[in-house]
Amino acid sequence: MDERMQQTHRGERDQVRPAADGALVRRPIDPQRLVAAVASPEAGANVLFVGTARGFTNGVETTGLEYEAHDSMATEALERLCTTAVERFSLLACAVEHRLGRIAIGEAAVAIATSAAHRRAAFEAAEWLMERIKREVPIWKCEEWADGRRAWVHAEPAAARSGDAGHERGDGPVDAGRRRSRGRGRRR
Amino acid sequence: MQHASSSGAGQLRLALFAGLAELAGTRSLEIPWAGGSVGDLRQAIAHARPAVAGLLERSAVAIGGRYADDDVPVQAGADVAILPPVSGG
Repeated sequence: MDERMQQTHRGERDQVRPAADGALVRRPIDPQRLVAAVASPEAGANVLFVGTARGFTNGVETTGLEYEAHDSMATEALERLCTTAVERFSLLACAVEHRLGRIAIGEAAVAIATSAAHRRAAFEAAEWLMERIKREVPIWKCEEWADGRRAWVHAEPAAARSGDAGHERGDGPVDAGRRRSRGRGRRR
Repeated sequence: MQHASSSGAGQLRLALFAGLAELAGTRSLEIPWAGGSVGDLRQAIAHARPAVAGLLERSAVAIGGRYADDDVPVQAGADVAILPPVSGG
């Protein structure tokens, strides 16, 4: 929030351009707006990642997705991840939006835009952010299938992490699991 | 652990999410709470809503927006959220 204010008051640009901004949205994501938000004359690379609702997973047709979140914790986590990404990868700017509510197949569920002096940092930061978002931000996805069934996706703890940024099962809340296990011993 | 009728006993309102809310049949579960740890709270929830027990084992607990381990005390009236394994992205 402070960064946004500073950028606003600095007045060097013709628009608000936060250095690191993560947000939940309940409307369609506009990827181009995110890219514009991270644009910088110092940048040699802008990377835009858009995660979309996939219509088929392992041959099973998905007809739509619904997302919900713990709003305040998820927003805080997204903001913290963006700030961390800027520092860790020396980004010029970073912006993330995750959509909530029902989304149709093909629509964007999440978008990440990064800008950096060189492409490697911009690519790596986007990938790092996506991995962290899937693993630790309190957002949940409900899959709706062609046969009318629907189910919330809650990965088994033993499931292997997947590098795919799409919507398969198999990614776990690694940090939550670790956190949980610390106090678990005496009760199990 | 159930001292709901003793003096000072309070209520705890728990925010449930996603599949956990679906299994519990509510997004806001209220249980009697006389105090105890997050671990005690897990047992109380499983007792109140046996259907959630399995997923609850794999869920995180947050108090006032902060993740809390099982040994953290939970005061009556605290802002508690139960967060099942996440699946954003």
